[in-house]
Amino acid sequence: MELFRLEHKKLWRKKSTRICVLLCFIYCVVFGSFLVYQWGVFGSRKDNLDGRNFDGYENIRSCQDYFHKYGELTDETLQAWVRDYQRLNAALKKEKETQGSENRETRQTYQNTGWEIVNSMLSTLYPELEQEEMRYVMIMSCYVEPDKLTGLYERRKKALHTFLDVSGQIGGERAYLLQIDEKVQEPFSWKWVEGWSAVLGSMVADLGTVMALFLAVVLSSLFAGEWHDNTSPLILTTRNGWRKLAAAKILTGLFFTLEFFAIVAVGMIVLQLVYLGTEGWDMPIQTIKMIAIAPMNMLQAEVYEFVFTLLGAVGFAGVVMLISACCKNHVLSLLLSLAVAYGPMAVRDFSPYWLQKAFDLLPLVGSGADIFRTNTFHLFGHYIWSPYLLIWVPLTIGILCLQPAVRSWARRMRG
Amino acid sequence: MELSIDRLTKHYGRKIAVDCVSTALRPGMYGLLGENGAGKTTLMRMLCAILEPTSGEVFLDGMEVSAMGADYRDLLGYLPQDFGYYPNYTAREFLLYMAALKGIPRDQAKKRVRELLEIVGLQDVETKKIKAFSGGMKRRVGIAQALLNHPKILILDEPTAGLDPKERVRFRNLISDYAKDRIVILSTHIVSDIEAIADEVLLMRKGKLVSQGTVPELTKQAAGKVWELAVSPAEAAQWQEKASVANLRHEGEQVILRILSDDRPAMEAVCCEATLEDLYLQSFRE
Repeated sequence: MELFRLEHKKLWRKKSTRICVLLCFIYCVVFGSFLVYQWGVFGSRKDNLDGRNFDGYENIRSCQDYFHKYGELTDETLQAWVRDYQRLNAALKKEKETQGSENRETRQTYQNTGWEIVNSMLSTLYPELEQEEMRYVMIMSCYVEPDKLTGLYERRKKALHTFLDVSGQIGGERAYLLQIDEKVQEPFSWKWVEGWSAVLGSMVADLGTVMALFLAVVLSSLFAGEWHDNTSPLILTTRNGWRKLAAAKILTGLFFTLEFFAIVAVGMIVLQLVYLGTEGWDMPIQTIKMIAIAPMNMLQAEVYEFVFTLLGAVGFAGVVMLISACCKNHVLSLLLSLAVAYGPMAVRDFSPYWLQKAFDLLPLVGSGADIFRTNTFHLFGHYIWSPYLLIWVPLTIGILCLQPAVRSWARRMRG
Repeated sequence: MELSIDRLTKHYGRKIAVDCVSTALRPGMYGLLGENGAGKTTLMRMLCAILEPTSGEVFLDGMEVSAMGADYRDLLGYLPQDFGYYPNYTAREFLLYMAALKGIPRDQAKKRVRELLEIVGLQDVETKKIKAFSGGMKRRVGIAQALLNHPKILILDEPTAGLDPKERVRFRNLISDYAKDRIVILSTHIVSDIEAIADEVLLMRKGKLVSQGTVPELTKQAAGKVWELAVSPAEAAQWQEKASVANLRHEGEQVILRILSDDRPAMEAVCCEATLEDLYLQSFRE
C-alpha cells in the first residue's frame, strides 16, 4: 500500500501529469462546457444572426420555460408547436416588413422553440412533406400544414422499419432490434431537448477522444520512464522488487484514470446542473433521435455515456500500460499509445464495415452515442446490440493487458 | 555467513565477460580491482541476482541466491555504477521511495532516512531536488539508498567516483565500520581507497579472477619488481618509452621514475617497497 501511495504521488509530481490534467480540464470543462453553455451554443443569437451573446444561462431558462406548456409529445402538442412556430415565423416577417426590424421579444420566443431538433423529427416522421424544390427547412416556411401531422407514434414505427430496411437489417436481426424498441414507453415526455442533445450528442460522447490523448501522455511513461531514469538495477535489488512495484504501478495507472475521469466528469456535471438543471431528465432519448431504439431516458443515457467513457478509459489505460511495459523508450511508448487510439479513429471511415465494427470495440475508439443507433454484432449466431459490447469489450481488453504488462516488464527488467 | 561463487560465467554472444570465477566471501571488506571491461560490473550484477549467469551459481550459506528471491534481496544493498534516480525528487523523497521498495515500514523509514542523510552529509540539502546536486552529492544519495535496509551484503560499484578527497575519507570510514560483520564488495579505479580499507583484494583481468588476497599478500607478489631511478628530464622521456613507468616526480634538476620491472632496469636503480597500485599496474602492463 505504501508503495502504491508513493508511486501515485510520483505520478502526480510529474509536471507533465499536472499539465495534462489541467489542459484536459480546460478543454472539456471550460471550453467544452462552460463556454458552450454560456456562449458558443446556448447563448442567444445576436440580432444579425451572426454569433451569439454571452447570456447562455438566461437563454437556457427561457428555452426551458417555452416548453413547459407541452409536457408530452402527442399529435396535438406537435401540431400546437408547429402552429406556434409558424405564427412566430410569420410575425417576424411581418414586423420586418412593417416596422423595418424584428421585435426583440418575438425573436427571442422564436429562438426558444428549438426548431432544429423538431424539424429533424418531422423530416424523419413525415418524409413526404420534404419538397426538393423548397430551399428552406420544411417548417421554416408555412408549407407544412399542422393538422396533417397525425399518427406520430405509428409514423415513428414506420420510420424505424424503413430505416432497418435501408440498412439491410432484416429477419432475426430486425426482430431482435424491434424487441428492444418495444420497451420504449409512449407517449414521450417532451420538454426542451436541445440541452440534452448537446450533452449526449457531443459533450459526453466526445470526452473519451480527448481523454485518450492526455491519458497516453501521462501513462506511457509509467513503466518506460524507469528506463529513462535508469532505475532498474535499484528496483531489481530491493525486497519488493519489480513484481510488487509493477502491481503498484498498475494500481496507480488505474487509480489515476479514475481520478482523471472524476476531475473532468465532475466539472462537466456541475456545470450541467448549473446551466441545464435536472429538467427533462425523464425524456426518452427518442426526442433527440426518433428512430433510436434504446429504452432509455436522458439520465440513463448520460449515465451510460459516462460509464462508457470511464470503462473505455480504464481499458485504454490497460493497453497504454502494456505498451509502456514493453518499450524501453518512453517516446516510442507514447507514439504507440496514441496510435492505438487515434490510428483506428483515423482509418475507421475508410475501412470495410466489419473492420469499422472491430475498431469500435477498441478502448476509446467507439462511441457512447451508439445508443442512438441500431448497430449490432453477430456472435456465435446471436445478435448483440452494439452498446452492450462497446461498454464491456474495451474494459476486458484493458484488463487482459495487465498481466502481460507485468510479465513483459519483468522480462525487460532482467534484460 | 558465506557468499560462495562457483564457476560463475557470463557470455554476451561470443564475448566472455566473466570467465569461470570461483571464490568464497565471508564478512569483511573486499576490493574488486580491474581495468575497464575486466568484468567487475558484470560480476557484481550477477552477485546481486540482476543478471542471470550463463553458467555457474552463487550461494549464500549453501542456498542458491536466485532461489532465495526476496529473502536474498532483503539482505542486499547495491549501488550501481550508473546510479539512476528521479531528478525531480528531493534526496529525502527518493530515499523514502527506495525504503518503500525495500519494504521498510514508513515510520522506520523516516527515521532511517534522517539518520542516513546525516551520515552522508546531505541533511542540509535534503529538500533540494536531486537534479540540482553535484555528481558527488548524487553519489552520496546512492550510497545512502544502498545502506537503507542495513544490508548484510553490500555491493558498491565505483562508490567513490566523483567524490572529493574529504568525502572519500568520510566514505571509507563509514564503510570500514560497516564491514565488521557484513560482506562489503566494492569496485573502484582508485587503488588507494581499496588499499586503505579492503581486507581482501580481488584482481580481475579479462573476466578472470587473477589474484585474491590481503593487501600485504598481493603486494608481496610485486616485491623486488619496483624500482626508483633518478634521471635527467631528457632521459625521463626515453625511459617512459622503453620501460613501464608507474610514477614520475621532479626533485630539483632530476626526475625520479618509479619503474616496474622484473629485473633491475639500470645499475643506479634502487629497489623499493611495492604498493597495491604497483601490483595493479604490473598486472595490466600489457
